[in-house]
Amino acid sequence: MYVIKSLPALPTLKNLSRYSTYAMVLSIGIGISASTASPTTDDLNQNLSSWQQIEAQGKNQDVYFYAWGGDPQINAYLQWAAKQVDDKYNINLVHVKLSDTSEAVSRVLAEKSANNNNKGSVDLIWINGANFATMSENSLLLKQWANKLPNFALTDPESNPAVNFDFGVPTNGMEAPWGQASLTFYYDSLSTDKPPSTLNELVNWTAQNPGRFSYPKPPDFLGMSFLKYALVMLHEQQDANTGTNIKAQLNLPATEQNTDIILAPLWTFLDDLHPTLWRKGEQFVQTGAHMRRLVDDTELSLAFSFSAPEIPAAVQRYDLPQSIRSYAMSDGSLSNTHFVAIPYNASHPQAAQLVANFLMSPEAQAKKQTPAVWGDKTVLIQSTLDPEQQALFKTNKPHPSALPVDAIKRTVNEPHPSWVDAVMQGWQTRYGVSP
Amino acid sequence: MSKNFNDKRADANTGVIAPYKTDLFTHIVSLSPKFLLLLLILPVLGGLLSVLLPAFSWVPALEKTTLSLQGFNDLWQTPGLSQMVALSIGTGLISTLFAFVMTLMILAAFFNSVWLTRIERLLSPILVIPHAAAAIAVGFLIAPSGMFSRLISPWLSGWELAPSGMFPHDPYGISIILGLTLKELPFLLLMALGALAQPELGKKLRQQYKVALNLGYFPITAFFKGVLPVLYPFLRLPILAVLAYASASVEMPLILGPNTPPTLAVTIMQWFNDVDLNLRIKASAGALLQLALTGGLIALWLGSERAIKACFNGTLINGKRHYADALWQKITAALTTVVIGFILLALVGLVMWSVAGFWRFPAVLPEQLVLLHFQSAFTQMGTPLFNTLAIGIVSTIFAIVLTLLCLEAEQLSKKPLSKFTSLIIYLPLLVPSIAFLFGLVWLQQLVNNQTAFFNVAFTHLLFVLPYVFLSLASSYRRLDPRFAHVAASLGATPAKVFLQVKLPQLFAPLLIAIALGLAISFGQYLPTLLAGGGRIATITTEAVTLANGASRRTSAVYAIIQMALPLIGFILAWVLPKYFFKSGTR
Repeated sequence: MYVIKSLPALPTLKNLSRYSTYAMVLSIGIGISASTASPTTDDLNQNLSSWQQIEAQGKNQDVYFYAWGGDPQINAYLQWAAKQVDDKYNINLVHVKLSDTSEAVSRVLAEKSANNNNKGSVDLIWINGANFATMSENSLLLKQWANKLPNFALTDPESNPAVNFDFGVPTNGMEAPWGQASLTFYYDSLSTDKPPSTLNELVNWTAQNPGRFSYPKPPDFLGMSFLKYALVMLHEQQDANTGTNIKAQLNLPATEQNTDIILAPLWTFLDDLHPTLWRKGEQFVQTGAHMRRLVDDTELSLAFSFSAPEIPAAVQRYDLPQSIRSYAMSDGSLSNTHFVAIPYNASHPQAAQLVANFLMSPEAQAKKQTPAVWGDKTVLIQSTLDPEQQALFKTNKPHPSALPVDAIKRTVNEPHPSWVDAVMQGWQTRYGVSP
Repeated sequence: MSKNFNDKRADANTGVIAPYKTDLFTHIVSLSPKFLLLLLILPVLGGLLSVLLPAFSWVPALEKTTLSLQGFNDLWQTPGLSQMVALSIGTGLISTLFAFVMTLMILAAFFNSVWLTRIERLLSPILVIPHAAAAIAVGFLIAPSGMFSRLISPWLSGWELAPSGMFPHDPYGISIILGLTLKELPFLLLMALGALAQPELGKKLRQQYKVALNLGYFPITAFFKGVLPVLYPFLRLPILAVLAYASASVEMPLILGPNTPPTLAVTIMQWFNDVDLNLRIKASAGALLQLALTGGLIALWLGSERAIKACFNGTLINGKRHYADALWQKITAALTTVVIGFILLALVGLVMWSVAGFWRFPAVLPEQLVLLHFQSAFTQMGTPLFNTLAIGIVSTIFAIVLTLLCLEAEQLSKKPLSKFTSLIIYLPLLVPSIAFLFGLVWLQQLVNNQTAFFNVAFTHLLFVLPYVFLSLASSYRRLDPRFAHVAASLGATPAKVFLQVKLPQLFAPLLIAIALGLAISFGQYLPTLLAGGGRIATITTEAVTLANGASRRTSAVYAIIQMALPLIGFILAWVLPKYFFKSGTR
C-alpha cells in the first residue's frame, strides 16, 4: 500500500538478467567510471568505437538546445555547461530559451510537415512527461541513443527504473536523464506559522486563511502537478477507507469507462477548495514564477515548487522575503525525472549526444546539484561513482529558507501521462470559465 | 475636405512636368512598387492560406488529408468562447476609443500651445516601451500590493499584508483596457503630430485654426470644426492599426487579463502551443475567427465614422462658437495630468524594481538598493543585444530604401500609389499577426530553413515597413517640387535629384523614420520567436520569457534596456538635424 507500483513494465525490467542488453551498457559504465578497468568483450569494443565515432563526428559543431529559459539560475548553469563543452569538444552550445517546452514540439512538427527531415533547428530539447509522450507518439525523436551514452551507466539503469521511464512511458533510449524533481512547499513565516502538512490540512488552512493560496492554471506543468498530487492522495485515502485498490488505475492509461469515476473525488475536493483560494478561484496564477511573485507581494502566504532549490536562490537574489521557509508534505511528494531528447531531424545529432553525455557526467551533475548554482537533484547513483566523483557532491550549510535535508519522507510517482489530458479537460470544463 | 486637399496637390504636381531619361535608377524606381506589393502580399496572404487549410482539417503532418468542419465544431464547443470573443471585442474597441478620444482632447485643448510639444516629449518614450514591459509596470501600480496600495498602507488602510483585490486580471478586462489605452495614446498622438509636422498641411491647418479663433470660435470648438475634418484622414490608418492590434494582441492580456477564460488571441496562441498537436486544427479555426472578429471591428469603426460624419456634418457650419469649452479644457488638463502622472509613477516603479533589494509590502521604498539585477542581466545580454541591433538595422534600412524608392516612383510617374497599394502596405498591421504568422513560418520552412536570421529580419520588415512608410510618406509627398524641377531643368539626372536634392531636405523625417523603424523592430516578440524558431534571442524575447518566468526585478532591468535602445535612436533623430542639413528641417 505504501510503495507505489506505478510502472507496469517494472517487474519485467527487474527480471532482466545481468547478461541481457543492459549488461552491456552497465559494463561500459564500469569501464568508464573505474578508469583503470579495460574493456573485455567485443560488444564493448564495438560500442566504444561507435562512441568514438560519435565523438569524432560531433566535435566542432553547433548544438541548439531548446530549454525553458524562465529561471536565471538555470540559464547561468547552461552558460557554464556551454563553456565546458566548448573547451572539451569545441561545441557551440546555444541555449534557445523557451517559455514553454511545447513551443519546441510545435517547431519540430512544423518541420516535419514541411518535409524537413534532416536539417531541423532543434538539436537537443529539455523535456519530460506529456511533451515526451507526444513527441514519441508522433515519432519526432531519435531512438536508442541515450542508453548508449557512456555516462548513462552511472545512473544504475538496471536497478533504477526512473531513468528508463518517463511518467510510466518507456523511454526506449530516446531520452537521457538529466535531473530529478519533487513537489515541495514553501510559506511566508511572517504571515502563517503553521503551514498545512497534508492535503486534508491544506483545505482547513485555506478556509482559515482565505485568498492566501492558489495554484497555476492547467495546463501549466506545476498546476497539473498539484492536481496530480491531490488526485493520488485522495485515492490513497479512499482506498484505505474502503479497502479497494482503485488508485492502481492511475498507473494505467485513462479509459472512457474509468475516467469519470477516478476523477470524481478530485472535483469534489476542488469544489470545496476553490472558494477559499486567491481571487476565490475565479482567476488563477499563470505559472510557478507568477505564484512566487505573489508570495513576494504578500498576496499569497503558501505556495509550492517543483524545484526546491529555486526558493533559497530567489531569497538570495531578493525575489522572495527572508521570512520564507521550505518544507515537504508529510503525506507524500510527487516526484519525477526530467530528461534531454534529440529530435529525429536534428541537424547535429552526434554533437547533441556529446552534450547529453556531458550533462550526465559527475562533474556537470554535481555542479547542478549545488544549491547556489541550481540545486537540481542528480540522476547519478552514488554507488556507481568512485570516491573522487562522490566528493564532488558534498555541499555546504544550507540557507535558512532551503528545504531541510531529508525533508522528503515519501515520494509519490507520476500517474500515466494520459491522466494529464483527462484532468486538464475536466478542469477546463468545470473551472475554465468563471460564472 | 481631404479630397479637395489631395486634388489641389495633384494639380500642383501636374503643372510642370520635368522630363527625364530612363536609366538604371529610374528603372529600379519604377519597379519598386510592384516589388513592394509582392513582398507584402506573398507572406501575409500566403501565411493566411497556410492557416486556412488546417482550419478545415487538412494537416498532412498529422496524417489528415480530408477537408472537414471538425475544427470549427470543436471551436464552437469550447467552453467560454462567447466570453473570450466578448473580452477581445470589448478591450480592443474600448481601449482604441479611449486612446483616440484622449488624443483628440489633448490635441484640441493644447493645439498651438507649447504644452503640446511638452506632452509629446513626455509621452513619446511610452511609444518605445514594449507592451510586455508596460503591462508589468501597469500591473505593479494597480495590483493589491501595488504602488497605490502601498502609498496608503498601513497607516490609512491598516493593511499589513496585501489585501485581496480585483486588479489586474479583473474579469471585465478593465486592466487590459487601461494598459492598451496608455500604450496606444502616445502612438496616435505622435501620428497626429507627425501629420501636422508636414509643412504645407501644418501651416494650412494652423492658419485655418487662427482664422476660426479670429471669427470668435473657442479653441476646442475651433479644433473640432476647423482642424479635425482635415486631420482625421491622416489618422485613419493608424487608428485601424491600433484597433486591429488591440483586438488581437497577446502580451497585454496575458499579463493583465483574466484567464478564466482569457481573450481569444491568447487562447489561440495556447492552442497552437499545446502539447496536443490535434489542437492545431481548432487553433487554425480560431485564427480565422480572430480574423473575422478584427475585420468586423474595423468595419464597425469605418461604419461609425460615416454615421458620425453624416450626423455632425451640419454642426460644422451651424456657426456655434463654443460647447462648454472651458469645462472641457479643465477636464482634459486634469485627465492629461492623471495619465502622465500614472505613467511617470509606473516608470519610477520600474526603476525602483530594477535596483530593489528586499521590498516587502507595505513598504513604499525598497529596503536596500542593489545593482545585482543589472550585473546579472549584463552578463547574459551580449548576444541578444547584438541580435536586436543587427535585425533592427537590417530590416529598417531595407524598409527605408524600399519606401523611398516607392515614393520616388510615385513622383516620377506623377501618379499617386493606387489605393490598393496603400492598403496592402498596411496589411501586416491590419491582419492580426496571430492569424498569419504560424502559416508564414510554415512557408519559410518550405523556402529556406537554415537562415533563421534572414527569416526574422524579413518578418520584422513586414511590421517595420508600414510604420516607416506611414512616417515618411507624408513628408515626401509634401516636398516642394520646385527644387526638383529646378535641379532637373539644370540637367541633373533623376538619381542625382533624388540623392542630392530630395534626401537632404528629408534628413529630419528620415531620421525619425529610422528611429521609429528600429523601435518597432526592437519591440517585436511573436514574429521574432516564430520566424527564428526561437533561435534568435533579442532583448524583447528575453524580456517576455523572463517576465513569464523570473523576477519582477530582472524584468524591470530588461524593460529599462528595451526603452533605452530606441530612446537613443529618437534622441539622435532629434539632435542630429540641428547640426546637419538645417535647411531641410521645419
